[in-house]
Amino acid sequence: MIPKGLEKQFNILDFSLSSLWRRKLKNLGIMLVFALVIFLLASFQMLTGALSNSADAVLEYTPEITIQKMSAGRQEAIPLAYKDKLRSIYGIRSVIPRIWGYYFDESSLANFTVMALEFDSMPSGNKLNLTLSHGHFPKITESGTVVIGRSVQAILGLGNRHVFSLFKPDLTLKSFKMVGLFTQETDLLTNDLIVMNLTDARDLFAIPKSMVTDLCVYVANPTEIETIAKKIAALFPDTRVLTKTQIQKTYQVVFSWRSGFASICLLTALIAFAILAWDKASGLSPEERREIGILKILGWETADILAIRFWESTLVSVLAFIIGCTTAYIHVAFFDASLLKPVMIGWSVIQPPFKLLPSVTVADLMLIFSFSVMPYLGATVIPAWRCSTVPPDSVIR
Amino acid sequence: MRPSHILLIIILVLFFVDGSLFIHSQRLKEELRSDEEIQKIAVAGLGLTDLCVATEARYTRHPAVSDPMAPFMDHPGALEHFPTGSFWAVTPNRNSR
Repeated sequence: MIPKGLEKQFNILDFSLSSLWRRKLKNLGIMLVFALVIFLLASFQMLTGALSNSADAVLEYTPEITIQKMSAGRQEAIPLAYKDKLRSIYGIRSVIPRIWGYYFDESSLANFTVMALEFDSMPSGNKLNLTLSHGHFPKITESGTVVIGRSVQAILGLGNRHVFSLFKPDLTLKSFKMVGLFTQETDLLTNDLIVMNLTDARDLFAIPKSMVTDLCVYVANPTEIETIAKKIAALFPDTRVLTKTQIQKTYQVVFSWRSGFASICLLTALIAFAILAWDKASGLSPEERREIGILKILGWETADILAIRFWESTLVSVLAFIIGCTTAYIHVAFFDASLLKPVMIGWSVIQPPFKLLPSVTVADLMLIFSFSVMPYLGATVIPAWRCSTVPPDSVIR
Repeated sequence: MRPSHILLIIILVLFFVDGSLFIHSQRLKEELRSDEEIQKIAVAGLGLTDLCVATEARYTRHPAVSDPMAPFMDHPGALEHFPTGSFWAVTPNRNSR
């Protein structure tokens, strides 16, 4: 047995659904556009949230302090002599020089990241071979050998070959032998990497023996990272000192609502709702006003008419919200966020596969809900209330 | 059939679809967790600072070790022209040189 109050609401719901169905083209159109805007917002939020979560999880082991030399506002090579000067700072466990940079392949227009350092000195350096699908990391004695990412192998068209050449700054060729290939699991980090020995990287980029690209510093007590970073900055005023916290914070910020693309998405959504709200708030159509007048003459109360409008708006907006969020998840999880990916990777030739878990948090859903459903409810119920309080005979006349 | 019954069927279908997606997300989470262990070794062993998402510009390939001015450094009066520049916000390392 259904309670009387609930039965009344069911009847009102039935009436609202019939009313929606009478104007099905208009209502389905509104719902579709509504779902599309929510889909766009939710896709952006789920994709960027997934990337932020991945970064947060894996960049926990990034170098504790990174020192870069600056000159005229740009980063340049740092003298190796700085490493010796760092000995004066108490609490530093190890300083690892690193050479890295970009190699532009003119035939494929791809940008590769070349990385070189003493792997054995790094934390987990002895486990690095686990990141390879086959092969091993170059030993110090193995000159001219590299480990490459999967996209590098594909773009260079290596196939079964292991030897390839890269141009040095003087346009002479330097040959490399691939001795290892990164596994698919690390694509999100190593897709464009070419990893080699320090000597080979020096030769490839023509970097003098006394210089490196940056210095990775590891400290004995992790709680002292900030203090030691300040000491390093004071010791070398011409450097930029980045701590692990700053690096980890980057990915919480770079995909924010303040980026250009996100602002456009958000502004589009807001403008769409503003137009919708303005249209609704400017008054009901004569047909809708007549319907309200007839209902009032038939004995319906203002509260009942408001309940109908409330049910109609709730059904359209909540269904659009559910459909928009569901399709956004499918878009990110199953289709690699294919609509957002072209904007996100731009002109990059290397296209990483996005194996990401769409980030669905209550906070994000509430944010999208309050940006979409709430304004729509307000925009439809308020004019109905204004109309239902006027005398019915003036409405239907 | 009452219209509310049709609505109930639609809600049940959506509930079923979302339930299946929830199960999918739980499986994917487990799968990615094992991947993360290998990724952590790569990060620690190579001292990586960034995700390999966009490779067109150095400030979107390595935003963590680039500074906010990087997009405008190519020449005096340079305008930022890479498409990814519109997707990625400025790095937080503003206090650093």
